[in-house]
Amino acid sequence: MVGATDAVDAPARAVHGAALEIRSVTKAFGTFVAVDDLTLVVPSGGFFALLGPSGCGKTTTLRMVAGLERPSAGTVSLAGRDVTDVPAHRRAVNTVFQSYALFPHLDVLENVAFGLRRRGARDVRARALEALDLVELAHLAGRSPAQLSGGQQQRVALARAVVNRPALLLLDEPLGALDLKLRRQMQLELKRIQAEVGITFVHVTHDQEEAMTMADTVAVMNHGRIEQLGAPADLYEHPRTAFVANFLGQSNLVRGTVVEHVDGGTTLGVDVAGTRVLVPAARSVASGPQVLVGVRPEKIRLQAADAGDGDAADNVLTGTVVDTSFTGVSTQYQVEVDGVGTFGVFAQNVGAGAVHAPGSRVRLAWAPTFTFALDGHEEVVAGTVGLDDVP
Amino acid sequence: MSVATALGRSAPPDGPGAPGRRAPTARHGHRRLLVPGVLYLVALFVVPVAMLLATSLYAPVPGGELGEFVPALRWQNYTEALAQFWPQLLRSFAFAAVATIATLLVGYPMAYVIAVRARGRPALQGLLVVLVVAPFFTSFILRTVAWKQILADQGVVVGALRWLHVLAPDGRLSATPTAVVIGLTYSFLPFMVLPLFASLERLDPRLLEAGRDLYASPVRTFRTVTLPLSLPGVVAGTLLTFIPAVGDYVNSSLLGNNTTTVMVGQVIDARFFRVLDYPTAAVLSVVLMVSILVLVTGYVRRAGTEELV
Repeated sequence: MVGATDAVDAPARAVHGAALEIRSVTKAFGTFVAVDDLTLVVPSGGFFALLGPSGCGKTTTLRMVAGLERPSAGTVSLAGRDVTDVPAHRRAVNTVFQSYALFPHLDVLENVAFGLRRRGARDVRARALEALDLVELAHLAGRSPAQLSGGQQQRVALARAVVNRPALLLLDEPLGALDLKLRRQMQLELKRIQAEVGITFVHVTHDQEEAMTMADTVAVMNHGRIEQLGAPADLYEHPRTAFVANFLGQSNLVRGTVVEHVDGGTTLGVDVAGTRVLVPAARSVASGPQVLVGVRPEKIRLQAADAGDGDAADNVLTGTVVDTSFTGVSTQYQVEVDGVGTFGVFAQNVGAGAVHAPGSRVRLAWAPTFTFALDGHEEVVAGTVGLDDVP
Repeated sequence: MSVATALGRSAPPDGPGAPGRRAPTARHGHRRLLVPGVLYLVALFVVPVAMLLATSLYAPVPGGELGEFVPALRWQNYTEALAQFWPQLLRSFAFAAVATIATLLVGYPMAYVIAVRARGRPALQGLLVVLVVAPFFTSFILRTVAWKQILADQGVVVGALRWLHVLAPDGRLSATPTAVVIGLTYSFLPFMVLPLFASLERLDPRLLEAGRDLYASPVRTFRTVTLPLSLPGVVAGTLLTFIPAVGDYVNSSLLGNNTTTVMVGQVIDARFFRVLDYPTAAVLSVVLMVSILVLVTGYVRRAGTEELV
């Protein structure tokens, strides 16, 4: 057992720099390319989320990091050491599986102690109980996993991984099987535990809200590639692709043509179906004159079309309300904008402002600083969730 | 396969099998459903066992003909039969135990390959299961006689073993205890493989990944995850092999030498059909039945009652 201990990386020391580096990794299953020339650097000590729709390759990426799949090409490094050819049981990485994968023949304590025993650690019992304490389940140490609820099993799976103090903890959709309320609770819990133990967490999820709530850094993944990487607020406010704009929250995207540069080139004037819309040049990632102009639904204010003129500096479009739905916090409008298409608008229910009934003519106004421009070659609907895509 | 399930899961005391207390009419209805089964058991198990017990105590008619006995309570039948035939009884249990261990050693890798390695390829799995069972479509006697040929002194197997110096130049397999154990092992192999297959099939491959993820090498994952989770199959397989193997007499008759390989089944057969000594045959049958019952109960208590999946 002493040999086995030596074979495993020393547990999480304060590693500076990257906890995980994936360089040009490709994974193909037959002719299907699950992960396509992926490069990803996960900084040490943080909560990192890999966000993407089902089948985007995020779980395959995680399995390659855990050592459960071999990359077809490229390298995986942990704390600066190339582990591409190191088998799973010699990697200082632990996984919280989507199915939890608790050992049914062992009680809760022995499940948690499993990794410690394999590595010949000392004080196994005490350390396992300590980990169970962290997830507030020490009182169920003697139970068998079958006697626990889904949420409790999830915590045991977490304790079983955390107890080993790995250099990297992988979470594969760990909250997927829980109901909404429990999921929200566990999100906060996971965040607390991550802060408490200081292990680098890599969390795989298809739930954008979950990723944004929990992670310091989110990598949005699509078709085996990283679309964009950054802090949640940064991704939300500065999407660089239509996929990110639509997958993270909602966006109104419309086609337009850059017709002029104003304010000394810091602002673009874009023609959208005959109306000029201003976009800060710094918020444009377009390479040519053809652009997708975007604005988030909550940034738009609705005014009755016959009301007095609003702020002259605003971007303004006019249209007809086609649908409204009251959600409590806000009212969500669908507005058919003349010659452009349907816009979504979220209006906070702050008591002020008129309610616009379907059929009424409205003016949509928003500050130019909230406008962004994407490359005109992109699909407007990329990353929108169809009914078939709901996992 | 139902045996594997029944042994693997101990029903909770107030499970669906227990009679419902609050529905007397339904309960009576359920009872009526038991009638055919109970009649069958009484006619074909309880009555014969009672007859067997009675016969085991019969006494010979003084001056009577061969095979003539009268009902009695002659308890000496037991002491006499055991005094005379204890070596054959012990040998039966020893041969059956060795054969059971051998079927486990041969059968486990087979079941593992079919259930785990061929997982996700149902056509291949089906083919492999058929290959395990197919030889048993031919006659039991025929296959045992075939083993006689395979293990013959001039056969390829003995020749090869002599050449490899595993056997002495004049060493042989035919008519040896080894031959009988080989025959038993072969005969009961499917009874080991099938329950093991059923149990390994249910093994969640994600648990093996969890084992590897938690620093267990493939060998340790097998020992700490796969093996414990396949224990219900091991228990079922060993019982299904051991019980019929103890009472077997075809292998010992055809592959043995009638002296150092005689098993109790062979003695019962001879006492009953040739010597016409019915009480002794009955005594040995009762002793065999009771010993198996005691051994199996002890074994299942030790291995089978833990909470297994």
